[in-house]
Amino acid sequence: MATATPATISATRRRMTSLLGRPWSGVAVLLVFYIGLVVVFSVLSPFFLSVRNMLSIGSNVAFIGLMAATGTPLIIAGGLDLSVAAIAGLTGVVISLLHMQGLDIWLAVAVAVFVAAAIGWINGLFTTRLKLNPLIVTLGMMSIVSGLALVMTGGLTRPLMVPGFNVIGQGRVFGVPLPLILMLVTFLGLWLVLTRTRFGRHVYASGGNAEAARLIGIPVERTVVTLYIVSALSGAVAGIVLAAMLGAAAPNSAGQHLLTVIAAIILGGTSLNGGRGSVWGTLLAILILGTLNNGLTLMNVSSFWQDVTRGVVLMLAVSLDQIRSRALGD
Amino acid sequence: MPTAAPRLHMQGIGKSFGGVPVLSGVDFTVEAGEVVALLGSNGAGKSTLMKILTGLYGRDAGTIAVDGETVDFAAPSAAVAAGVRLLPQEISVMPDMTVAENIFAGDLPLKKGLLFRSVDDAAMRRRSRELLDQLGFGAIDPDTVMKRLSVAEQRIVEIARALAGQARILIMDEPTAALTEQEATLIFRIIRRLKAQSVSVVYISHYLSEVFEISDRIAVLRDGRNAGTFRTAETNHADVLAAMLGNTVGDLYAEGGAAKGEEILSVEALSLPGKLDDIGFSIRAGEILGVFGLVGSGIEVLGRAIYGALGPMKAGRIRLGGREYRPASPVAGKRSGIGFVAAERKKEGIIADLTVRENIALSFQERFERGLFVSKSAETSHAKKWIDGLGIRTRGPEQRIRTLSGGNQQKVCIARWLVEGVELLILEEPTRGVDVGARKEIYGKLRDLADRGFAVLVLSSDVEEVAGLGDRALVLDRGRVVGRFGRGATPAQLMAATSADPAFHAA
Repeated sequence: MATATPATISATRRRMTSLLGRPWSGVAVLLVFYIGLVVVFSVLSPFFLSVRNMLSIGSNVAFIGLMAATGTPLIIAGGLDLSVAAIAGLTGVVISLLHMQGLDIWLAVAVAVFVAAAIGWINGLFTTRLKLNPLIVTLGMMSIVSGLALVMTGGLTRPLMVPGFNVIGQGRVFGVPLPLILMLVTFLGLWLVLTRTRFGRHVYASGGNAEAARLIGIPVERTVVTLYIVSALSGAVAGIVLAAMLGAAAPNSAGQHLLTVIAAIILGGTSLNGGRGSVWGTLLAILILGTLNNGLTLMNVSSFWQDVTRGVVLMLAVSLDQIRSRALGD
Repeated sequence: MPTAAPRLHMQGIGKSFGGVPVLSGVDFTVEAGEVVALLGSNGAGKSTLMKILTGLYGRDAGTIAVDGETVDFAAPSAAVAAGVRLLPQEISVMPDMTVAENIFAGDLPLKKGLLFRSVDDAAMRRRSRELLDQLGFGAIDPDTVMKRLSVAEQRIVEIARALAGQARILIMDEPTAALTEQEATLIFRIIRRLKAQSVSVVYISHYLSEVFEISDRIAVLRDGRNAGTFRTAETNHADVLAAMLGNTVGDLYAEGGAAKGEEILSVEALSLPGKLDDIGFSIRAGEILGVFGLVGSGIEVLGRAIYGALGPMKAGRIRLGGREYRPASPVAGKRSGIGFVAAERKKEGIIADLTVRENIALSFQERFERGLFVSKSAETSHAKKWIDGLGIRTRGPEQRIRTLSGGNQQKVCIARWLVEGVELLILEEPTRGVDVGARKEIYGKLRDLADRGFAVLVLSSDVEEVAGLGDRALVLDRGRVVGRFGRGATPAQLMAATSADPAFHAA
């Protein structure tokens, strides 16, 4: 009796929505999707399934993952940082220019990190104190920062070859690329902070209901400003990793990856309305997007098509988020 | 016998929501050119009756006739087309558009252009001017941008909007709530003009003095039934209040505890420009102080001002727990021992996506930590203690708060503050949107908490709540304390105080 009566349809729909409404369902769906992707590419390409290729995916996505990791709590708290990738570009530029002026490489790194923190702090002040829309503030900041990076270099790529520094991007520990380790440690740390600390609770409360959070004496502004600074710092670290990997600082090297950063956070199930999300979802999403890129490249698909694919995946993910929101009764 | 049919005749109106009757057998009549005040306390059924009249709700029983013709408004647009217009309580204008555009936003006059029809600005301006003239406010320029007008003038434009087209019945819901006394007289002037033009007005207000000034007749609802109709000229405040409220409080409220402790809070000369004026009172441990006031009286800000939610207060002296206290921020208020439960539970109270446990622990999170990390077991045992203590009906501490009923969400919002060190609980509208059963429980629990030594300050626009719950009661009106009562004050006495009517106090 395979006829679908209205009763069975509505029962199925109820089951579907109740499944999608579970807190972990988003991450579970992503995990299934990721495994499916790995299986498909393993069948399609003989080069895909190897430790070497997996580690290469990991180290390719590491600097993007770093930015997406800190972007996740920021979006959960109701913020958004579009300037993070531009900050990554500026960081490399600042380090290479200062180093060329004869400054010690680690001092140059320290200056660049400080500059990034200041930019994050400004983002935070504009969005909290002046209550401006973060989309506009950080879009403006993105333009300022990437423009400055171009001005400082004249648009040219600067070499940055300092063995001690390049290790950050090229080194390995027990065969595992250092950038990948850095990214995984960041995710682990943020997971602990978000789920196990007071600050983490404040993040969810600030994004879930800022006014209620303020009225029960949670420092909402301070929480959000901190997250903007952390996001900018992750941009700086991503810029350092990228410049160290490439042995050069290009002013616009990271900007093109902003879309991937935001896409990963949303694909990972973090609600753009705030209050909901997890870093594990973002990590899986980063792996999915990286695997998609890698697999398509191995199959000789033009990189132009990869942009199309990423967009399609993103829109599917956003639709899924909307369905999940409804299932949760918003 | 067959005189002209009344302008509006509602007969035997019945309505229930989910099996709970809200209106039963209500009759309501308005003659042409008559101003009828519709009175009743919160939940009496006024707004439901008006929503049925304007086509927002369907009805379960009864008939409606306008000018003798039976009508059945399936949607608000049908009511508007029949000349039944509603002026909602909240001012809703488009601040960046002109007066004329605001008046005609719903029905822009169009003219034929070369390619397509465009807005006929000239006609719109001309008709706006006519309408404003007709109301006696020809001085308002139709080209002015709305946000440049005063609140009272915006109200007048809203009335003009409601009258655009053929209005036969105008329903005004608390039209003076946001206005000063002087501005309110402008509204009365308009009502008199409308009367002269034979428009009928249904006037909803809590201010008895206003009602007595402007209405021809007063219709009172109580618990969804007619509770009396009075010719305004032949009645007085006491009779109307008795019809509205009765003189009994009922058994919704627990008996007051006897022993009161030391003074917890004392407030002197607290002022907030335009909102509060020279407020003074004190509360002792174990005591519930109720503060009653209508919309705009200052009850919306008094609790927040003391807690610190409005930032640093410039005027006034406050002592809390025997020490000088200056409101500065919610963080500071909390640290000084104040717990605050906001009126709008959904917007300002619960964090919907978090669990009951997380919602309870959030306000004093630092007390549920072990080292760097949150201790879930400490949170759980604390949450369980107050789930039992306040009788919160939930599947357990891990249930998401959004799935709880309003009354249980409210208890969670109270539970947040029940930790060592909090001495004063400030609650705004503690039972707004809560069903009767849960109300009774919340009242009981507040009394329990007072008996445990909390000082409880309840700010409410529900007069019966304040009269029944408080050991003492204050009445606020337009930012000032206009009445102080001991235990046993009746709702009618509190209500009468807001009306500030000397004749009644003498009686």
